[in-house]
Amino acid sequence: MEEVDKILIHALRQVGTEVSDDVQSVKQFTSELIVEAVVRCVRVIDPGLGGGLPASLPPGMSARFRVGMSLAQACQDLGYKGEIGYQTFLYSNEPEIRSLLMFLVEKLPRESAEASDQPAGKSVVLQRAISAAIKAQLALPWLPPNCRLPLLCETQSPGPLHAFHTQSLSLAHNVKCPEKKHFKGMPLTARIFDYQRDILPPVTAQASHHASVAASILEQHMAELSATQEWENEWNSQGLLSRLTPQDYRSRKLTRLQKRIEEQLRSAALLCPESAIGANRSNSDLSELLQSFRGTAPTDHLLTKGTHFTHTQKFTFTQETAAAASPMPSGRQSEGDVQVRQQEELATLQQQLQQLCLDVDQLTTDMKQMNVTTAQVWDELKKRELGNSEMEERMRVKKKTIDLLPDGESNLVKLQALVEGSAKRVVNLASQWEKHRAPLIDEHRRLKELCSNQDRESSRKLSEIKDLHVKIREAAEEAKKKEGLYKQLITELENLPQDVSRSAYTLRILEIVGNIKKQKEDITKILSDTKELQKEINSLTGKLDRTFAVTDELVFKDAKKDESVRKSYKYLAALHENCSQLIQTIEDTGTILREIRDLEEQIETENGNKTVANLERILEDYKAIRQENSALAAKVREG
Amino acid sequence: MELSESVQRGLQSLADPSLFDLSSFPVLVDVSFRSLLSSHADSGILDQPELKHIDQIVLKQSHAAATTFILEAVKQNADKSTISSCLEEITFSAERIEIFHSAYQKHKKELEHLLASIGRRPPHITDVSWRLQYHMKNGHVHKVNEPFYLISLNVENGDSGGSSEDISFSCTMEQLQDLVGKLKDAAKSLEKATQM
Repeated sequence: MEEVDKILIHALRQVGTEVSDDVQSVKQFTSELIVEAVVRCVRVIDPGLGGGLPASLPPGMSARFRVGMSLAQACQDLGYKGEIGYQTFLYSNEPEIRSLLMFLVEKLPRESAEASDQPAGKSVVLQRAISAAIKAQLALPWLPPNCRLPLLCETQSPGPLHAFHTQSLSLAHNVKCPEKKHFKGMPLTARIFDYQRDILPPVTAQASHHASVAASILEQHMAELSATQEWENEWNSQGLLSRLTPQDYRSRKLTRLQKRIEEQLRSAALLCPESAIGANRSNSDLSELLQSFRGTAPTDHLLTKGTHFTHTQKFTFTQETAAAASPMPSGRQSEGDVQVRQQEELATLQQQLQQLCLDVDQLTTDMKQMNVTTAQVWDELKKRELGNSEMEERMRVKKKTIDLLPDGESNLVKLQALVEGSAKRVVNLASQWEKHRAPLIDEHRRLKELCSNQDRESSRKLSEIKDLHVKIREAAEEAKKKEGLYKQLITELENLPQDVSRSAYTLRILEIVGNIKKQKEDITKILSDTKELQKEINSLTGKLDRTFAVTDELVFKDAKKDESVRKSYKYLAALHENCSQLIQTIEDTGTILREIRDLEEQIETENGNKTVANLERILEDYKAIRQENSALAAKVREG
Repeated sequence: MELSESVQRGLQSLADPSLFDLSSFPVLVDVSFRSLLSSHADSGILDQPELKHIDQIVLKQSHAAATTFILEAVKQNADKSTISSCLEEITFSAERIEIFHSAYQKHKKELEHLLASIGRRPPHITDVSWRLQYHMKNGHVHKVNEPFYLISLNVENGDSGGSSEDISFSCTMEQLQDLVGKLKDAAKSLEKATQM
């Protein structure tokens, strides 16, 4: 029973009942503890049912009675078959309470045990670590700054803080692409190498504030990681399908993006209505920007356009600077004079500038117009030339016809012969062509088929590769998860209290099972013995009956002849009757003895239940309730 | 522990016996820890006599990778098994792992302080003094008759080493009750956070 009690107490503690350490068995449970334990179990098993139950006993008798009744009702609702009433809780006896608690503990849901088998995610592990850290910090008392020990210093006075501030760091890396750019006579990569070797400071010395070094390094690393992850995602989702090498894919994407940006910028620049110069300037800026995007491969079209506009821009700019530079003080005059003169000069110069600007604008527009007209004229010229050559051709044909006219007949015949000859040649050539064409077409078809086959094969392989990728990732994730779970379980195992030794329990259970087996064997043995005895008795009874019948017949035959034999026959009958009576009596005694034993057992159990005492208590309770009731009634009357 | 490609490359060259022999490896590890923990930036920290013969680019790469690895390990509170499995993947020999790990153990606490010092933290309330005042009347109202509290919170500020000015304010009874309720809520949720 001790172990059963231990298990019960352990389970009750898990449910949340506060069982003090010196309570070792169910015998030591007080009424309050029983009520609390039962209420907590009921709450866990069925929150709806246990919600209305108070966890502690109230002082008043009638209230106690009500609590006990509702608890009993709740237990019966849960399916408890045993006898239960309010007295079970208030005037407990050990076996009843034990069976009730066992029933409740068995009913407790076991989800918590199953849930722990699931691998906890990273966040759960982190949250657990956080809660453990908070717990540890809560356990420490707060001390004034002067009394702090080094241990407390860590959490209670963490020293100066630096705001999170990061800076991008440049890392030394191998420049692989052999670019043909030259810079002051040396290849650019060599320059970069030189810079990295001699001038670039180590990462920890790059940040302007030393406090931000750690944050910067961590951020850099994180950025790299996320960039690779993103690239991998994209490569797996789209890159593999495009059937390009990673470099090709990247370059294609780069050009696509450049084009998109260019278009967007252009449309945006066209949309905003500005003054002519402003538009020019923004256009030139745009083209420069686009050029810088393109980097190594600027298009000629853009270049010319850009230079055109940059020239105008440069022109106006130099004008401005010239205008700003010219009004220098030329002599020693009064300040007012100088100012007035300067202002005048400024005004005139500004006027000039405006005039010039206008001129320039006009000239630009003129030039544009001229350009357009030139192009138009060029077009017309070309058209004319084309028409000219056509005419000449026609003239030549006509001239030849005129030459041939005088000797018409013979020439016609000649021409017909020529035409026939050429027609024959054409037919000949066509047949030859057909001869060559058939095998070539066959070849073409064959190759096409091969190509499509290869295509199919490659797409199949591609999908296989994709599958494999997915599988690899899944396997890696699984492995990681398993590892995490393993670690977590190990820590959990370390954290578990060691007092509940599992092996002892299992040994014990095995022992009990063995005992039960032995007992079962004993029982079957006894049963078979009993059966044998029964058989023997039966056979003996049968024998007796037969012997008696035979004897009875023999003696009865003789009894007709002899008086003494008749007497002996009477005796025989009497003997038989007496014996059977005797047997009957013995059997009756046996049943009575058994009944007596049953009754004694019942008496014992009843005694164990302390029925009399309980009845007395219940009577007392009844009296107390009546008293309370009468007191209340009196109060009501008084009131 | 996930490592980016550049860090892996840097660590691989650090693991390469032909690049870093057994005399320069511990020096670089030590330099990496010191450069993180020193109070000022020292751009000449890699000018050690033992590291003279190594290519400066490789040296800088390895130094950057080593510092990144150290910070990541401290950030994730990595234990010995995690670190050694991670370094084994990058072909570190057992001897080098041991050297790295002993240096890591030696500096771990300081590095944790370094990482913990990033960020900001509101001041801690350490004590409170209060006064109950009674507002009887003012220039506008003849009879106000309301009690109000003058509260002064003594705070301890982590930034300035434990001393800072107090926070003073006045509030009515309801406001004070609200404040107390909020504080109780906060304490309760902290308790709840420990029972995960």
